[in-house]
Amino acid sequence: MTNTMVKVTVFLLVVLGIYLWIGYSITELTGGERTASAAVDVSPEGGEAIYWGKGRCFTCHSVGGQGSAVRGPNHGQFGEKFPLPMGARAAERAKERAEKTGEEFTAVDYIVESLSDPGAYVVKGYKNEMAVVYAPPISLNLNEIKAVVAYMMSLGGDLDMAAIDTEPGELTAGFYGKIAAAAAAGGGDPVAGQLVFEDNCLDCHVVAGEGGEGGEIGPDLSATAKKGLKFIAESILQPGKKITKGFETFVLVDKEGRKVVGLKSRDEGGEVDITKANGEVVTVAKAEIKEITQDSTQSLMPDDLSEAMTVKDYQDVLSFMMLQKGQ
Amino acid sequence: MARREKIVKQLASRVGKPGLALLAGLAVLLLTSQAFALEANEYRQVLGLDSRRVVWFLAQMHLFFGAFVLGVPLFAVIIEIVGWRNGDERFDKLAYEFTSLLSVAYATTAALGGLLAFALFTLYPTFMGYMAGVFKDVFFIYALLFFGETFALYLYYYGWNWLKGTNPYNSTVIWVCRALGVLVLLFGIAFTIGAVGPEMRTDTRWFIILLYILPTGIGFLLIKDRKSSHIFIGIMLNVVGTAIMQAANSWAGFMMSPAGVDAEGVVTGSTWQAFENVLATPVAIHRMLGNLAFGGLVAGSYAAVKFIGAKTAEDKAHYDWMGYIANFVAISALIPLPFAGYYLGREVYSTSAVMGNNMMGGDFSWTFIIQAMLVGSLFILSNYYLWSGMTRIPGAERYYKLIKYILFALIVSFAIWLTPHNLPLTSGEVGRMGGSQYHPMLKFLGLMPAKNAVVNLIILSTFFSFLLYRRGNKVDVASIRGQGQLPRIIIPLAGLAAIAMVGQYAITMLNMDPAELDLPADRAEYMRTLGWMLVFDGAVIALAVVMALFDKGKWGQWLILAVTAFNVTIFLGVYGFVVMEKASPVLRNVAVAQFLQLLACLISVTAIDIFLFRGAKEIGTLNWGRMSVRSQYALLLLTFVITMNMGLMGFIRSGLRGDWHIFGVMRDTSEWGFTPSNFTMTQQVGGAVLLFMAGCAFMFWLGGLTANKKDDD
Repeated sequence: MTNTMVKVTVFLLVVLGIYLWIGYSITELTGGERTASAAVDVSPEGGEAIYWGKGRCFTCHSVGGQGSAVRGPNHGQFGEKFPLPMGARAAERAKERAEKTGEEFTAVDYIVESLSDPGAYVVKGYKNEMAVVYAPPISLNLNEIKAVVAYMMSLGGDLDMAAIDTEPGELTAGFYGKIAAAAAAGGGDPVAGQLVFEDNCLDCHVVAGEGGEGGEIGPDLSATAKKGLKFIAESILQPGKKITKGFETFVLVDKEGRKVVGLKSRDEGGEVDITKANGEVVTVAKAEIKEITQDSTQSLMPDDLSEAMTVKDYQDVLSFMMLQKGQ
Repeated sequence: MARREKIVKQLASRVGKPGLALLAGLAVLLLTSQAFALEANEYRQVLGLDSRRVVWFLAQMHLFFGAFVLGVPLFAVIIEIVGWRNGDERFDKLAYEFTSLLSVAYATTAALGGLLAFALFTLYPTFMGYMAGVFKDVFFIYALLFFGETFALYLYYYGWNWLKGTNPYNSTVIWVCRALGVLVLLFGIAFTIGAVGPEMRTDTRWFIILLYILPTGIGFLLIKDRKSSHIFIGIMLNVVGTAIMQAANSWAGFMMSPAGVDAEGVVTGSTWQAFENVLATPVAIHRMLGNLAFGGLVAGSYAAVKFIGAKTAEDKAHYDWMGYIANFVAISALIPLPFAGYYLGREVYSTSAVMGNNMMGGDFSWTFIIQAMLVGSLFILSNYYLWSGMTRIPGAERYYKLIKYILFALIVSFAIWLTPHNLPLTSGEVGRMGGSQYHPMLKFLGLMPAKNAVVNLIILSTFFSFLLYRRGNKVDVASIRGQGQLPRIIIPLAGLAAIAMVGQYAITMLNMDPAELDLPADRAEYMRTLGWMLVFDGAVIALAVVMALFDKGKWGQWLILAVTAFNVTIFLGVYGFVVMEKASPVLRNVAVAQFLQLLACLISVTAIDIFLFRGAKEIGTLNWGRMSVRSQYALLLLTFVITMNMGLMGFIRSGLRGDWHIFGVMRDTSEWGFTPSNFTMTQQVGGAVLLFMAGCAFMFWLGGLTANKKDDD
């Protein structure tokens, strides 16, 4: 049996040796060992470290012959498709962008816009599928994003660190503001989220003193962020699950069998006011009421918002809501 | 645009009164230091070692032994039941022999678990404090389940001979057990339709039904004497073991797809929500099948070592047979494993596209190439072992000529599976390929439709090898019509199950609204094509069932196999590229259609096969022990490969979180917060495999001592 065990052990060691050799060869082929990302300066070197490390840009992009990803455009000079490296290419793209928008775009503006709002001007032949780099799990902070911009500009472009960092132009400053706001909210795009909110929610809800034009039939959301992401998410998708006190739905049936569903907005002097979802107030004398019941499972808020909104709208609204922390 | 700009300014002023600088500062502070965690992470070291590698190694060792402790009882109970139903004492002895290995493995697993827990709590105190806060209830349930596992295991092992009798209990006991069984099954029905139990994901509900409620109910119904009571204890041992695994999986799943907490880590939901996070059950399903395959193969390696060292023909015959049974159980679990992996991968993508992209196209793309090599090796080696086994079967030489074709199909499939979509290239190489980073022809083989097609062909080929093995020593098929009522019940039932499987998905595909996948209405044709193909497949199965009942079972089998091979590999393999181009989201439906047709084929063909060769005239008896030593090394290699693969997959699963302890919630701010290289992975996993195998050798040696002592007694 000893002989057998020796044979089997040698066999196992040979197999493990091959396993280690494969791991070693692949690691050598793909750039060697990595280390943890240290804090970086706003510089091309810092941006390069972010690009090939924490930022995970290399998952989708390559720089010339460096890297192997092809999901996103190559940022270096590469074949006929990319005759210019990113810095020089950004200047060309900025001109096209200026023509389309009528605004003055610099190369830095273009790159910052691509990071802030990747869907704004997608390179032909590619999909708008870039991750939000300032949201989890990538979660780059503003300085790290500036460093990446510097790295991109250093690839054949006119590198102007002031335009990137200390003295950004108006457009870039605007994008930085958006990135900072979104990052503070933990992801999503709160700017787009406010647009969605204004178009869909402001009739019934109030935020920072604005809204509620359709009657105050939804709670004031000015400090809703304090309730946490989970609560907000559930309130949007399943509004009936946890109804804020004072906004429960009542079902009133009068003696003639007519039914009114809405908030009980007044109950005094022998009368009850029911505010319907569309803001209409129906006043019913108590003597005319056959029964009035509270439906704790139903909310006046539409429960099909998940169908009406895209996933992006939903995430954007969430990030906007997470900014509502009250005064 | 103007409205957007106005909003940007409004938001900036609303969030931070002192201005944008403070807001940016807040973002920097949030993202670079605490990063959504509740407090700053604290990290410690022991003996100056890399804490992550310490925890990784201990976790890996704990998981290997844990998989052994969970996998071997699964394997043991299955073969004990087979022996009990067939009245074959050899199976019973085999089950006992393996169970005897468990007590040492169980103690080692528990010791390693304790060591791992100490390491985690001392080296990663903040992280573990947070996890303990979220999962405090589950932690206690987990600990209590260990008592259940311990009692069940020792009762199962030490009670083996005590509970051997087949004298029936008195009728009251039997009826009480049956009543309990019926009650459990009724509860299961209520649970299935959602009448009882909390709201939960469909996969979690079915996991609980199939792995807890159904076995418990059936276990109670089986009890009629001491032996069946022993089997019931074995079933409960597995139920409790599975629950332990599921609890631990919920923590691993939570770290990848946190639920029940907000982005700052504050618990906003229930413990159940955290427990039942998106990835918990997909990981559990994958691990369950993996454990069964692993248990079978570790048992197989035991048999292989014993075979290589055996001195007598009798010993060789015994260990050859043992290796065959172990390999058979392992292959049965291996076949559905790629689909469980596919499901898990899909859920990873659903959780986070960034995580999914990192898995298949980022840090782990090369790791997946190593994984493909290992999984491909598993299938090729399993087939090789089956083919070697045919040398012990008189009459099997009739089928030798087919082996080269199966091997060809396996090698080609394996090569396609290994082909990456693209590789790092020099500019010269790019120039030679016309400026593209993709090879003009091979690029197609690196895409999902090609890989789905070949993985199905690999499984179908392995199944075909198994069918050849089964009919090796049979003169001809038996008459199904002459076998009474049983085949008339079982074959149509299996056929119905298979038809229901493809039929329900056919209905889904025929009625699916393209808008559900964000596709325009005119893309409905791609779903309808799948639907009608599944209808056709169901019709073919129905026809084959009828043919089998009229003694044309062999032709029925050929019909199903041929249609499945064509539909799954050729038609859908090519059609997948069309779908990818025209209606990319439908590609996942193509994969499901492939999987369901394959599964329906396996079920229906196996059901027919059982009765085709039931009592069929044999050419000669099997020459157990007439196996090459090479085949035993193949069996050993299978165990090494699956163990290395388990370690590798664990690296991918855990590494997908990147530099997050809890994805998107708690960042890893330690000096080890980066994805290690594949070389580091092979070092860690290789070291753990070596130590685990040494542990196994020790357990086998101890088991041998016990067996020798009993023989002496």
